[in-house]
Amino acid sequence: MSRPAAAIVNVRHPVAAYRRIAVFGGVYSNALALEATIEDARRREAEAVFCLGDMGGFGPHPDRVFPLLRAGAVLSLQGNYDESLASGREDCGCGYTDPRDNHFARISYAYTFAHTSAENKAWLGSLPRHCRVQLGGSSVLMCHGSPRRVNEFLWESTTPNGLLRRLFRDHAADVILCTHTGIKWHRALPGGQHLVNVGAIGRPENDGSPRVWYALLTADAELEVEFVPVRYDHSTLARQMDAEGLPPEFAETVRTGWWTTCLESLPARERARGRF
Amino acid sequence: MRGTVPVLEARGTPFPSAPFVRFSTLWVQVTGTWCNLQCVHCLNASGPRDPWLKPLCAERVRHAIRESEALGVKDIYFTGGEPFLHREILPLLGVALAAAPTTVLTNGAAISEATVAALASLARGAPYSLEIRVSLDDVDPERNDRVRGRGAWARAVLTIRRLHAHGLLPIVAATEDPGGEGQVGPGLYGRLRDFLVDLGIDKPRVKILPLFPAGRLAGRGGDLLSEEVLDGFDRGQLQCAEARVVADGGVYACPILAGLPGARLSAGDLEESFRPVPLFHPACVTCFETGMTCRNA
Repeated sequence: MSRPAAAIVNVRHPVAAYRRIAVFGGVYSNALALEATIEDARRREAEAVFCLGDMGGFGPHPDRVFPLLRAGAVLSLQGNYDESLASGREDCGCGYTDPRDNHFARISYAYTFAHTSAENKAWLGSLPRHCRVQLGGSSVLMCHGSPRRVNEFLWESTTPNGLLRRLFRDHAADVILCTHTGIKWHRALPGGQHLVNVGAIGRPENDGSPRVWYALLTADAELEVEFVPVRYDHSTLARQMDAEGLPPEFAETVRTGWWTTCLESLPARERARGRF
Repeated sequence: MRGTVPVLEARGTPFPSAPFVRFSTLWVQVTGTWCNLQCVHCLNASGPRDPWLKPLCAERVRHAIRESEALGVKDIYFTGGEPFLHREILPLLGVALAAAPTTVLTNGAAISEATVAALASLARGAPYSLEIRVSLDDVDPERNDRVRGRGAWARAVLTIRRLHAHGLLPIVAATEDPGGEGQVGPGLYGRLRDFLVDLGIDKPRVKILPLFPAGRLAGRGGDLLSEEVLDGFDRGQLQCAEARVVADGGVYACPILAGLPGARLSAGDLEESFRPVPLFHPACVTCFETGMTCRNA
């Protein structure tokens, strides 16, 4: 499925045009949520399904997601995790500075690296970093962290409008879609531009519910942005994680919906909403 | 200080340089080196008497915030000295929070209950996150106060408790002491985290900083960076590639080196300071070797 995505990126004019697209990020080896998300997006008549990267990490059996991405014709971008796996880097490149975050990130990355086939690593290496499409009258730019850096965190409470205006101007886009933080949000600027962080489908978003989220964008008279909850068999996923010897903190997050790791990168406002 | 510090001419210096990649972070050295404490490791030798770097007037700070907002700043940090000694710190934090997420670095010793309540009110009403970073170097009062001065531990811990009680989630920042047992890296981190949990803080946040050969420890520096050492290293990862500091006398490259002639990039205009930075100081070696950032994460 890398070829269609690459073609979209590399051919500037014309870009592919759609009326409704589904977009998600952060699969994190959660094949069960991925399957449920693709099915849901098709049921809602999305004309194309996009993944903004980070296929691995956190979850069990990373190779299980790749056949689903291919079978679902998901147009995929490369995230920092994908880049690290493909290039054989020693760490995930998530950009953590905190010792506890880095401790769990190292465990997760070592497991994922060891269980991702060479073929799939090569596929991750072939993915583009950006993608432009036309959605109705809007020029949409998709990326992983931000248009300027693959591992930049764009949290709702720490992304000022002044920065967004600069990103829209510098990258000539009406709509920017990103992920990397794992928590969804959407802001429309007075000028009509939209920033949509589509969240992640690989783990819940620290709200006490095991569900995950993706974004559905529809071009009507105005751009409509809808976040869609996805319920999947999270208990089975948690059992698989336990069986693979992944940290119990990871499975706890899947079961409860509360983040137990990667907490230190959260700004005060987002951290305050969680349990830990 | 103003008018006596030359603007650095990077070209022709023997130092390697870091590129200017983008403007992300504005640092405001709001009280210069005026502080109520006199820590033995202070990286800019702040203290209560005759600060060698003067505080900024409120209008200078407001101008810098307006300028940085127009330039697409991502986050704003207030430091010093001790920012809460500035008479207008609360309104200035309000101005900053209207533009971007804002962090204030404090020793916690000059923050009253009323100030904490005002901070909580600011945080609730702001569109972006307000972060309060409180310095505490050790969970042991005696060991902390040997570094930070008598009574510093008790006042910092009281402020941490008050912030937590008002729904704010302080970041506790500690400086490593390579000479002390358990005072570096994960060991120090774990002890602080456990300490905060024992205090009843259910969302403990800890940041560890290395010691810098600057300020009161300026004599501890070793070799400077060279082109040879930096060969193959992405210098765009250094924080001076994305940050600028407004302090008395102009705009500087780095919050640790603000006020030093070698770090001065413009007389006051932010955009004029968007140029390569000479890596001229032993503290640059620490940044390079540890990959640290003065930002929260």
